Order: sequence, then C-alpha cells, then structure tokens
Amino acid sequence: MHLKKLKINIILMLALVLLNGAAAAEPELSNRLTPLQPPLMAPDFTLEDMDGKPHALHDYRGNWVLVNFWATWCPPCRKEMPSLERLYQAFHDRPFRVLAVNQWEDADLVFSYMGELNVFPDFPILFDSHSQVSQAYGVHGLPTSFIIDPQGRIAYRAVGGREFDHPDVMRLIRELLER
Amino acid sequence: MTTRPGKRITAMALALASGIAAGDVVPEFNPASGLTSWHVQGQGFDIKLVQLLPDFVRAVLASRGLSSDVIDAVSSYCAFGTIVRNRTAAALSYDVADWRYVTHDGVAHRGKTKAEWVREWRARGIAFRWIVLPEAQTFEVGDWGQGFTTVKLPPGTHFDLHYSWTQGGETHRTVIKDMQCASEEIEN
Repeated sequence: MHLKKLKINIILMLALVLLNGAAAAEPELSNRLTPLQPPLMAPDFTLEDMDGKPHALHDYRGNWVLVNFWATWCPPCRKEMPSLERLYQAFHDRPFRVLAVNQWEDADLVFSYMGELNVFPDFPILFDSHSQVSQAYGVHGLPTSFIIDPQGRIAYRAVGGREFDHPDVMRLIRELLER
Repeated sequence: MTTRPGKRITAMALALASGIAAGDVVPEFNPASGLTSWHVQGQGFDIKLVQLLPDFVRAVLASRGLSSDVIDAVSSYCAFGTIVRNRTAAALSYDVADWRYVTHDGVAHRGKTKAEWVREWRARGIAFRWIVLPEAQTFEVGDWGQGFTTVKLPPGTHFDLHYSWTQGGETHRTVIKDMQCASEEIEN
C-alpha cells in the first residue's frame, strides 16, 4: 500500500514537473480584463479564512474588491498568485481589497503551498470547500477573477491567468480608484 | 524540446489538402518525457494538446482523494492536457461536444465532456470538477483556460482531431492530423 502511494507520488511529481515545463513554454499570462456592461450584482458570500475567521463580501462595500477563484494544483493559478500579491501591495492603502477563494482544498494544503512563495500573501485566502460560491459566480475553469465595484456589482471579469501587476492592469486599478 | 520538422510539414500539408483551415500546427516531441504535444496558433483560437500518461491521470485523481472506481474510470480514457486561448480582438466561443476524434478506420468518436463527467461523478457524491476543460465557453479578449480533454480510445491510438470555434456567427473548423493518445507507459 505504501509502495503504491509512493509510486503515485513519484509519478505525480514527475508529471507536474513535465507539465509545468510545458506551461512555461506557453504564452505569458494575459493582462486584459473584460468590463461587464451593465455591471451585475455580485452574489454575496461568507467564507472562512485560514484562521477560521469569516469574511462576508458585503462587509467590503465601499471598496473595489478583486475576487480570485483558484487552487494550488492549477498551474496558471500558481503563476499569477505572486503578481496578485504585488498588485495588492501597490494599492492596499487605498479602498482596494483582494479575496482569493480557494476551491476544494484545505488550510493545511494551502498553507504549505503559500510557504513556497517568496512572499506570503497579505490578503485573505478563503475556502469554498464545496465550490458553491464559484458556482454562484458561474465559474467554469480556474483561475477566474472578478473585480467588484464599491456598490457590490461585478464590473470586470478575467477567465484564465493574468499578470496582475502588468502596467495595463495597474493603470486600470488606478483609474478605478480615482473614479 | 525538439520539433520534428517532417511531422510538422506532413500535418500542415494534410490539413490544407482536406480543405479545412489549417493553422500553424506544431507537434513537439519531448525526449525527456517521451510525450508529444500539438500546438495550433495563428488562427486566433490557439489550442495546445499535451499527451497525458494514464499513470499521470491516476496520480492527479489519487492526489485529489478520489476513489479507485473513479480513478480507474477516468484513466481508461485517452486524455490530453488542453490549453485554449482567445488571441483575437473579439469574443469567441467553443464547444468540445462538437469536436470529433476520427480514427484511421474512419470512425468519428465523440469526446466525453466535462458536463458528462460531472454528472457521473456527482451521482457518486464527488464534487471535484475542476480538472476537465469546460465543454463550452465564451472567451472575451485575452481569456484562456486549460484542463483535461478525454475520449474513449485505447492508449497509443492514432486519430485526426476535428475541432471548431465560433466568432461573430461564423464557425471555423480545423483538423489536426495524426495525433496520438499516450501509450500506457513512456516508451524509451
């Protein structure tokens, strides 16, 4: 049994290395977010963070909120996460917040993944253990991100990985904050 | 990674001869992994398919804590890691249910879609549904996605992939000639 598990782990590690190699050869992350016209009301949710503290979306009213649906095993999610932290650091003293909503994983797994990053993200990591919130948002694939305006409406959407600290994205966030 | 120019030229020539739009088809054989990938770009809808070993599929599912019956069921399919991307300046959509895997005996096989997998898994109380490429999506400018695509074919089977996408009411069809499911194990 242990040998079988060991074999699976070795194959998985090898395969992840190979697939990550393939992903590395892929075009870079996108930098465009699609405006929703007209904006749609964002489904409200309350999810717990890594310390078990609940976060309700409606408590963030008055801020621009970037909601990012992700998982540790998803290569583009892993690739975009550091840029998400850099974006957050650039605007965290303004009314701009980031909520990273993990799919179907637990705090121990996510904590160990975060330990692999150069910088531990300062924004809340929330747990959507049964993917109910992602379903409410109509998320088909990971990662998918939404920007929610101060009135609680979905203003922008991005399907697939993004380079969140790309100058185009930074400019967009700056413009939103100056509205 | 190395590219096999002969295979690339053959694939492009066959696609052109079929009368269906041909993109820049680039099969790449990775000598380290023993696996081949196919990348079509230059048509606006980029697609890359990477062979997946049955053992890799088993390992991914096992690492998600899925039960052995699910693991056996999924790993019996020919699977590809699939990356699709909108490189145009307008929205486009695709539907995997319209794609066909045509084996060399002329039989057109339909892939098993994410919706079909989710229906089957949900019946067994399994909520995990993120690894399979969404069967139908509209991609706005810059959007992209990835996931497994699956078809019930034995390891090593050769086939032509006929796929399509739609933009502005027009459906674009392309064929990638002589793709191959991964073997049961890496061939050295």
